Amino acid sequence: MRTTARIVVPIILVVAISLFLQGHSLPGGGFIGGVLTVAAFTLIYVAYSLDYLEVGVLDREVDYDRQIGEHRTVTAYRRLFKFGLAVTVGSGLAALLFDEPFLSQDYEYVHLPLFGEIELASAVVFDIGIFCVVVGGLLTIFSVVGAE
Amino acid sequence: MEPQLWVLTVAIGLPFVAAVLTPLFYRVVGERVGYLGAAVATVSFGLVLTQVGTEGTVATPWIPSHDVALRFHVDGLALLFALLASGIGVLIFAYATTYMHGMPDLGRFYMALLAFMGSILGVAFAADLLVLFLFWELTSVTSFILIGYHTEDASSQYSARMAMIITVGGGLCLLVGLLVLAVAAELAGVGAFNLAAILENAETIRAVLEANGLFVPALVLVTIAAAAKSAQVPLYFWLPGAMVAPTPVSAFLHSATMVKVGVYALGRVRPLFHGPEWMFLVATLGMLTMTVGAILAVLASDIKELLAYSTASHLGLMIAGFGFQTHYGPEAGAFHLFNHALFKAALFLVAGIIAHEAGSRQIDELGGLWRALPVTAAITAVATLSMAGIPPFSGFYSKEILFEAAWETAQAGGGLAWLYPATAVFASIFTVLYSLRFLWLFLGEKPEELGTVHRAPFTLFAPPAVLAVGVAFVSLLPDVAIGFLVDDAASAAALEPVAIDAKIPTHLSGPVAMSLVTIGVGFAAFPYYTEIRSILARLHGATRRTHPVTVYNGLLGATDRASAAISTHVHTGQIRTYVWWLLASACALTVAGYASTVTGLPTPTSAETPVAMILVLGVAVFAAIAVTVAESHVTGVLTLGILGFMVAIFYILASGPDLALTQLVVETLLLLIFLLVIEELPAFYRELEWGKVLRDAALSVFVGATAFVSVLYAAPAEDRGLTETASEYVDTAVPEGGGTNIVNVILTDFRAFDTLGESIVIVIAALSVLVLVTMRDRGETQ
Repeated sequence: MRTTARIVVPIILVVAISLFLQGHSLPGGGFIGGVLTVAAFTLIYVAYSLDYLEVGVLDREVDYDRQIGEHRTVTAYRRLFKFGLAVTVGSGLAALLFDEPFLSQDYEYVHLPLFGEIELASAVVFDIGIFCVVVGGLLTIFSVVGAE
Repeated sequence: MEPQLWVLTVAIGLPFVAAVLTPLFYRVVGERVGYLGAAVATVSFGLVLTQVGTEGTVATPWIPSHDVALRFHVDGLALLFALLASGIGVLIFAYATTYMHGMPDLGRFYMALLAFMGSILGVAFAADLLVLFLFWELTSVTSFILIGYHTEDASSQYSARMAMIITVGGGLCLLVGLLVLAVAAELAGVGAFNLAAILENAETIRAVLEANGLFVPALVLVTIAAAAKSAQVPLYFWLPGAMVAPTPVSAFLHSATMVKVGVYALGRVRPLFHGPEWMFLVATLGMLTMTVGAILAVLASDIKELLAYSTASHLGLMIAGFGFQTHYGPEAGAFHLFNHALFKAALFLVAGIIAHEAGSRQIDELGGLWRALPVTAAITAVATLSMAGIPPFSGFYSKEILFEAAWETAQAGGGLAWLYPATAVFASIFTVLYSLRFLWLFLGEKPEELGTVHRAPFTLFAPPAVLAVGVAFVSLLPDVAIGFLVDDAASAAALEPVAIDAKIPTHLSGPVAMSLVTIGVGFAAFPYYTEIRSILARLHGATRRTHPVTVYNGLLGATDRASAAISTHVHTGQIRTYVWWLLASACALTVAGYASTVTGLPTPTSAETPVAMILVLGVAVFAAIAVTVAESHVTGVLTLGILGFMVAIFYILASGPDLALTQLVVETLLLLIFLLVIEELPAFYRELEWGKVLRDAALSVFVGATAFVSVLYAAPAEDRGLTETASEYVDTAVPEGGGTNIVNVILTDFRAFDTLGESIVIVIAALSVLVLVTMRDRGETQ
């Protein structure tokens, strides 16, 4: 299980990010990318443990006496979905600055030297918000439930 | 002259702004914050005063797409009501600073009082149905907070809840009534929520209402709302209960302002509903309340209770006034609205002084108070004689006009219509009786048991003294008051301009005879007050079962018991029970929705189904059956996985890659969740109970059937290609959304609001799990 996870997780993460980025024009998007990322993290939790990322990857100390609600990983996820919600609402409010209805989106084609024609859509900001909400929200649930 | 929008907005808005700031000021200056309230009321009063003489509607758009606007209409009736509310408000705030001295939670108290005053001003000027409803409900809410001022006291809680249930229940009737009006206005093409326009085109709207059979329902609904708010029979019983509130609140809300909202609203819509049905309903209701209230006031043993029932009775008088078809009616209603506010607020403040200085509110324990409270006694004399309608005090004029209205109606109607003047006289005799009884508190001998009565401080007797001077002024120069506002106010409620002189009659006529009988019998019967009261008490006791308050308590108790009985079935604390009820009610509601809107079952259209699809769906069905008979959790979860993946493949075959992708990912995640919790699940369940199995199976079939029917309804009847919405999305996705993935463009652009809502759902779910898991050990379950 751990061996599989070691190989599969990076692939899933890359696929998730690519799905997220191509979302506006091809199948994918914030929600799907988010859920897939959650799947990758959950795989790590099942294979290793909740503290693996803290101890093994980020090399931090873990305080085992704390309640799960105050666990550092959980607080991080909570911060993530709060951030995501702020971004989503903020992207909607930004439209108001341009005298447009709440949550209206716009796009612009930008020419970059290396990539050629690139589309910059304000919807991506909204999508990033959704992504963060999904990842933060679901991982909060999973880490809390998983810790039981 | 046109009214000015900014003046009205400031006059209405300032109390609300001050209300928000009050808790802050309370921290800094303590209970002196009451003076701030008085200052705010003075400013509002002054601003409203500048608008006297103007007439018209001003508006600023609020929800332009539905033609909802912050629309204010100024006319005599609105000005009269607003001036009363803000003017008496000044006195109440001044009185409260002394009366409420040393009480707890004064920040909240003044906040609610200010917000209440703002709401009343809003109701007075509102000329938009939604704005009117908003302010109307705000008066109910703030009144609830004020009645429940003693939050720890059980009777206070009970009374506040009762007032809330009755007035908000009436508010719901008002909402429906206003919506009916809005629909009619929309049909007539005069702006759905524009009350000013509705009243201007009263004839057209009336025709539309009558054509659709909505005239009587709208009339009844609005009348119920007004009756609940203005304590009319049979919904009067919350008003005496509301007397648990501090006296300034009783004087302000339950004599001068809030209870008059219903009267005011009826005056407002009178031009629209005016007619025989209107008179039959409203005038009868008013007369009935006038009688019942007066009798109950004679029975009362507490001075505030006496005043409360007397208020209900006088509100009945005003409503009856507006109910009569003759032009004397609105004049009586508007003039009495004004007079009653003055003398009744004064009397409530006097009641507060008595309770404060003598330490008792029991009628039988009080007497001879004039020695200790000479100024208060003088105030009471003016106010009670006005309340009794003794000439030449102000109440006499308005009551005389009502007698004229009743007399004229009886002459025009004949027969049973003579009951109107008869009832008016009968009720007024009791009014004379209880008014004299209240005055008697100050006369006669002081009972032995009553301890020393202190002198009232200046700040306590000054506000009622101001009101009493007002009463005296109107008594001496009634024509000035009438000319200043009352005629305008009555004209706003009548169909034609009204101008009436009030004077002491010099020759005998029907109405004058009615007054003579009233006063004569009242004075003659007063020596037998105790005997009359004991007879009435016996009657009252014998009919206890039919009293509205008994019915109310019975209904409330039955509701309590029913919900307790239901909750033992629904609130078992087991998730499976909750899921069962959730699914069952969701499906039941869905089916009910279909049943009420669509006729006939949809017929599935046969379409070409590829073999691959049939195969995939076949495997899915097989997996679904296998799940139910799986022996272990692991097999069950894996079989469920098969089902999910088959659905994903089905999506791919039906060319929905986004859906398929989501389904796949979610399915994977579901498997992982099960892996996380599988250790916690019990390996063995107890033996099957067939009853439960059958119940669950029935629910499953129900859910499945509902989903199936929903799909059939949602599917297009024939294969007509893309629907209008779909082709709109296809056409505009690239040029407007800038993306070629339509699903994603819809999610992030066209319907981004939905997506935002869904992401909030995720956050709520995450927070709930967090709270449920972390709070579990905190001992809240006891």
